[in-house]
Amino acid sequence: MPGSDESILFELSGVTKTYGAITALNDLSLRAKPGAIGLLGPNGSGKTTMIRTLLGLIDTDAGTGRVLGMDVQKHQLDIRRKIGFSPEDECLFPGVAGIEFVAYAGELVGMKNKDAMQRAHEVLDYVGLGEVRYRKVESYSSGMKQRLKLAAAIVHDPKLLILDEPTNGMDPAGREDMLHLAHDLAHHKNMSVLFSSHLLPDVEAVCDYIIVLGAGRLLVQGDIATLKAAHNRCFEVRLKTDTEIFAREITSMGCVVRQQGEMLLVEIPPSGSLAMLWQAAARHQQQIRHLRPQRSTLEEVFLNAMEHV
Amino acid sequence: MPIIDQGYQHWSGELSGHTWRWLAVTRQGIKITLRNRFLRYVLFAAWVPAVALVTILSAWGLLERKSSMVSTFIQFMRFMNPGVVADPRYYRVDIWRLSYGYFLHFELFFSMILILLVGPSLISQDLRVNALPLYFSRPLRRLDYFVGKLGIIVAFLGMVLIVPAVVAYIFGLLFSLDIRVIPDTLGILLEVVAYGLIITLSAGTLILALSGLSRNSRYVALMWLGLWFVSSVVSSVLEGVYHQQMRYAAYAQTPQIQESPLGSDHNAAKTRHDWVAWQKSQAAYRAAMLHDRQTDWRPLISYTGDLSRIEDHLLGLNDAWRKLAKLEPSITARNRLLAQYTGPQFPWYWSGAVLVFLFGLSLCILNLSIRSLDRLK
Repeated sequence: MPGSDESILFELSGVTKTYGAITALNDLSLRAKPGAIGLLGPNGSGKTTMIRTLLGLIDTDAGTGRVLGMDVQKHQLDIRRKIGFSPEDECLFPGVAGIEFVAYAGELVGMKNKDAMQRAHEVLDYVGLGEVRYRKVESYSSGMKQRLKLAAAIVHDPKLLILDEPTNGMDPAGREDMLHLAHDLAHHKNMSVLFSSHLLPDVEAVCDYIIVLGAGRLLVQGDIATLKAAHNRCFEVRLKTDTEIFAREITSMGCVVRQQGEMLLVEIPPSGSLAMLWQAAARHQQQIRHLRPQRSTLEEVFLNAMEHV
Repeated sequence: MPIIDQGYQHWSGELSGHTWRWLAVTRQGIKITLRNRFLRYVLFAAWVPAVALVTILSAWGLLERKSSMVSTFIQFMRFMNPGVVADPRYYRVDIWRLSYGYFLHFELFFSMILILLVGPSLISQDLRVNALPLYFSRPLRRLDYFVGKLGIIVAFLGMVLIVPAVVAYIFGLLFSLDIRVIPDTLGILLEVVAYGLIITLSAGTLILALSGLSRNSRYVALMWLGLWFVSSVVSSVLEGVYHQQMRYAAYAQTPQIQESPLGSDHNAAKTRHDWVAWQKSQAAYRAAMLHDRQTDWRPLISYTGDLSRIEDHLLGLNDAWRKLAKLEPSITARNRLLAQYTGPQFPWYWSGAVLVFLFGLSLCILNLSIRSLDRLK
């Protein structure tokens, strides 16, 4: 039986996967700890291929990988027993009611009939589909189908839940519910979540850690809080009156200034200090109404990372 | 935080190993398929030949014991040669073979109907609703998926081919009350089971392959109908034309008759030509046909014809008819019986080769059409 390293959720080392002339993963190496992990990247960046690699569904051209301590090329079935996967596309087992759908998903993982059915009732209640459990899945709305896929993915209580674009096609209320469920599972139910999405607010709402892929390569990875940490020499400044004279003054002192709405984004030179701003304001009799260190948004982190593609 | 959180509970049960994972696919498929009311009617109808088989084997058991229960029915058995009725034990094996042969003949038809109802949607529906990622993202191999789907076909065909055959065998034993029946007939049961498995495996993989070719079950059903029905019709037409040629050739060799007495003016022909000469040409035609059956390839075109040829070989149906034909007083009568009841006699492995080819082709199609997730949309 493969050994497992509890501190590593999954790791890939030098993984390359090509489809003909297209390189989906290009010498990808990364490592992630248990928790809520966001997987970001534009279309064609290799997110889905990476997920399939983790599930052991594809043979890679080069490199190795481990998930939950198990080799992705040698222990695919064992890995899939411990992973729940909710695919991006609309996928259904045809001709069944919601409860049968989830129970069947459990049986396919290896649960006994009775256990699968009992557990299906529990998880359908959890995802909020308890009232419609006996309805045919074909009659479900898009949002209900997404939640049904989530229920099917967690029926066997996996260690790692992979959600591929889970809020696709959902209305705002449904999206909110889905994010709440994913967040709850990741933060209160001790289940690691790999959350793949294009929607940065969704990732931010659920995850603590992000992996950004571009052109099959790792661009950025790290704690969201760290990536969004306050900058040492960048500040947001808002004045009571006209900012133009103030901006000219501090630019002449060596600061880099950008206008963002009513706000000035000021980068102080290495030789300078925050006192420069107070002195410039005093000289021109300006009132500083707002002054705080600048923080990056996730969008900025993402866009900065994309510049390296 | 609530005292008891009922929102999500962890589950700590045991998961089974991979060996029987396919069974979940089979079980689910059977459950869904049995919801089709029309299918249940067909299943019910498919048991009628089984009831007839049970009745015949039981009656034969009673006949062997000279039971008073069957003495009443002896008069209704005059269509049988008196020699057979006089010594039923001697003809036991042959009667059992022929009974099972007729039973399988009908059940082959019902099997084709059942496959038409069950098979087309097995994979095509999964393709249509994009269910494959749901299967293959779980600990399920492609082989498990195929075996699971094949298991659905096996279950339904088993219900009409194998289960009734075994039940009929048990009834036959019970009514014969003769321990020698077992060594005499156990081989027949095994041959029937083997034949049932051949039908199941061949037709099962074939319909799965067809089902994997399209997302639309109706197209798959049409393809199956084409394979079954059209191939049978083409084979029959070719055979009919060929036999007609043989018939004309046989009549042409008889100087008294220059045209077929079986044409539109059948009666008139008989009155115009010498009756004895006509009978001779008939006998010549039958003899030629019997001889030609050993090399006539036309039944190979029919899928069910190929299955039937394997059945003939496994159960030794032609041999059984030959044994019964020996009771006929003349060669002409013997040939008439054989011409009427025996089937194609070309080497059985010709049909075997066709079935093996179709089996291999089916496996190739399945292998190519259902790739793992990296090949899916």
